[in-house]
Amino acid sequence: MMLLAPMALWFLVIGGAVVALYLLKIKRRAATVPVLEFWLALAGKTRVHSLFDRLKRLLSMLLWLIIVICLVLAIGNPIFSLGRIKPRAIAVIIDNSASMQAVEPASESRTRFDLARQALREISGNRPVTDEWMLIEAGREPRVLQPWTFDTAAIRRAGDAVEPFSGAAKLHDAIELASQLIAGKQDPCIVIISDGAAGELAPLTAADDRLIHWPIGTTHDNAGIGQLAVRAHRQNGNYHALISVVNASDEPLETQVTLEIDGRTDSVELVSAEPGGTWEKSIVIDAPAGGVLRASLDRADALAVDNEAFAILEPIRPAVVWLVTPTDSAFFFEQALASMDPLVWAEESLTLTPEQYPAASAAAAAPDSSLKRPDLVIFNGWAPDALPAVGRFMVVNACPAELGSPAGEALASPQIHLAPRAHPLMQHVSLQGSRLAKANRITLRQPGRVLAHSAEGDPLIALIEQPERQTLLLTFDVLDSDLPFRNAFPLLLRNTVSFMHEDAPSWLRPAYRLGETIRPSRALPAGTTEAKLTLLRGGTTQESSVPVVNGSFALTQTHHTGAVRLEIGDDAAFAAMNIGDAAESRIAPVNATEDHAAKLGLSRRLLGGMPWLMLAMFASLAVVLEWLTYHFRWTE
Amino acid sequence: MSVVSSKPDLPVMGQSPVGGRPRASKGPLFDPSFLQRLETLNLIARQLVRGRRSAARPSIKKGASIEFKDYREYSPGDDPRSVDWMAFARLGELYIKLFRQEEELDLWVLLDRSASMDFGDPSKFDHARRIAAALAYIGLGNMDSASILPFDTDLRTGLERMRGKGQVMRLMKFMEDMTIGAETGFEKTAQMFVSRVRRPGIVVIISDFYGLQKARAGLDRLRFAKHQVHVVQVVSPWERNPPLRGELRLHDAETGEETNLTITDSMLKRYKTAFQAFTTDLRKYAMRSSIGFDLTDTDVEFDEFVRHVLQHGRLLA
Repeated sequence: MMLLAPMALWFLVIGGAVVALYLLKIKRRAATVPVLEFWLALAGKTRVHSLFDRLKRLLSMLLWLIIVICLVLAIGNPIFSLGRIKPRAIAVIIDNSASMQAVEPASESRTRFDLARQALREISGNRPVTDEWMLIEAGREPRVLQPWTFDTAAIRRAGDAVEPFSGAAKLHDAIELASQLIAGKQDPCIVIISDGAAGELAPLTAADDRLIHWPIGTTHDNAGIGQLAVRAHRQNGNYHALISVVNASDEPLETQVTLEIDGRTDSVELVSAEPGGTWEKSIVIDAPAGGVLRASLDRADALAVDNEAFAILEPIRPAVVWLVTPTDSAFFFEQALASMDPLVWAEESLTLTPEQYPAASAAAAAPDSSLKRPDLVIFNGWAPDALPAVGRFMVVNACPAELGSPAGEALASPQIHLAPRAHPLMQHVSLQGSRLAKANRITLRQPGRVLAHSAEGDPLIALIEQPERQTLLLTFDVLDSDLPFRNAFPLLLRNTVSFMHEDAPSWLRPAYRLGETIRPSRALPAGTTEAKLTLLRGGTTQESSVPVVNGSFALTQTHHTGAVRLEIGDDAAFAAMNIGDAAESRIAPVNATEDHAAKLGLSRRLLGGMPWLMLAMFASLAVVLEWLTYHFRWTE
Repeated sequence: MSVVSSKPDLPVMGQSPVGGRPRASKGPLFDPSFLQRLETLNLIARQLVRGRRSAARPSIKKGASIEFKDYREYSPGDDPRSVDWMAFARLGELYIKLFRQEEELDLWVLLDRSASMDFGDPSKFDHARRIAAALAYIGLGNMDSASILPFDTDLRTGLERMRGKGQVMRLMKFMEDMTIGAETGFEKTAQMFVSRVRRPGIVVIISDFYGLQKARAGLDRLRFAKHQVHVVQVVSPWERNPPLRGELRLHDAETGEETNLTITDSMLKRYKTAFQAFTTDLRKYAMRSSIGFDLTDTDVEFDEFVRHVLQHGRLLA
């Protein structure tokens, strides 16, 4: 037996005091009574001073000594080891991931995380004081919460200070960190207090004997939104949302998921999934103005945090297209672009002659210009010698000198061969059997991707992508072919507008995982000192500001699902925060295959309870026994 | 009828609240007003005795007096002076004339002087001596004789058959000189008394009557000897509510025995109940046995008690 608080032995002095008190008690005060028999009859005793009478006093003193010893030992928090328990270095990894927020009905509706903290107290309270301890948090980025210490109280305090994390745990990284830190320690082991992380732990503990999985949780009942992804479909002016629901329970799932945009219900989808299965659906959302999409699952289960997910619907802005072409060949392109509503912003698009282009380009670049800057400039039959350094361009039947140079005679009746690798620009475009009267033979001066070429390998359609510029080259005259009579060219033109139309880059990514620190994807404008932050969580908004230092910031308030809106000057950026890991919804605990308490070497229980508690109960029983024996005069 | 204290049962001042023996008071047994108080009691007693004189104690025995009662036939050995010679002259047979014998009314006060009486403040012994002296004084003035016999283990020498109030100073001197004895042996005392006093009289026993079973045997013996028995039980507030708590070594005042005892509140409560039952049992026994019974507390003045006994009791009936 060891005492975790050996200082309690000082209280054994009380035992000496008890003996002293009994010695004093033996010196009774004398009193004379008229007749003794009267009192003896009441006391139910004879005049005989038997040995038993004296033993009765000893019994009373013995009971009080037992009470004192039990209490002292209880304060000392003993552990019973029978020689098994040896001092060792114990690195405890506490799993505070989203699945650990599952409520356990069998444990008075406490969360698994609460049970994990309780387990930490139990572990640290049933080991010798000579153990060395360390605590590591597995959520977010694994980090050491309490460095090596012999103070178990510090470990318990650190455990109590751990915050639950709504994201996915990184148990593997935490174990790696712990493995590095236990090197060179005496009889080291790593205790992982976790629900098993959907089976992630089992192979790890099987491979490393130093790992001890301390299982937490019993319930399976959960269904959650495993994924919510949104993609803007510019050509149709809508969004495609992919939503998946994980059914981790043992019962078939029949429920519904509600999609809201900025708090307004957009649609309700019925969800049906077998036990352990997944329900997925792609949903078309028609909301060109964009907004915050919230998907919520209508089901009360053990884990609430995965019953909602957020996504950002970036507003779909139509593309501004400038057509620079000689007047006599503009009709076909204009008709093709006019048919691309809402992909092309007809009101802001322009048709220019080559002579008008320089002036218009300069006007659009002016700060207060009423002209919208073009998302795509189509040069047909003419192109400047040098394209602007930034922008998206389609050059038809021409070639700027910087991109390519003539390579000899024009190709006569070239046959179109598509490149074997598909490209978004060529999606649904069928050029098979198209006839070209001729094509320019050019040699590319910049590395580019040839999307179509002649039989001799000369590029006919090529995409040249540079850091700030994209250019699609067509080396033939569209009107000098049968393309105007086919669907292929309008499709190619639509693909080009859609592919090359790009919104201004956002300061944020569309979505972040919970716990992930949000940083700007590019440097903020110089002189920015703060960004206004709006957090949307469960229908409520919280506004605050984030300090900006050296054009960057770090937003760490990402522990809850929701959306974030960041205002930087006149610009605004949105991002969604979700769990980002469907495995967290699968909360079914993985039970340890071994006796984790025995492997760790915890104190044996005393009559099924904690030793200190049972000793305190013994002391209480002894007090009652002493009172009864005294009351019924079995002791004096 | 018992006379008990109207005072609350509080520990007596001057004695140890826990343990120890309550000591007898050190003051004089008879103060200057004692005789005056006795005379007052005597006047009360005289009035009572005169009122009852006409029915006062005619003897059922036949003896030598002037009041004729009956005849009987002569038998050899009879006193020839009692032969009715006139009847012999008329009838020719010898008849003896029988006269009602006049019986003297004797008061016997048996005073317990055992060690158990040396309790309380004033002590039961002092209180008992004052009562005994008062009763004896009344007996001197209103009865044929009064006697005081102390007893403990057996009957001790006392003042027997005092006649006339002139004996009062002797009585008081005797009472003052009386000392505490040893254990109580009332059965033996009664046996000795009956053997010594054959003529029935009024026997007043003043005692605490501890050991009631043995006391009953002695009282029965007195009853069977035709004595008119009256008991006066003396208790002290200390006995009603002993200030004893905790771990004590109890010392028996009479036997000197000692025992260790832990007295708890519950035990003290049971003691009070048992003490009440003890006095009640004695009273019930007295009622069943036609024995006069009175209970007196030591914190009640002796003359108040005696007056009460005279006016309401059967002592002079």
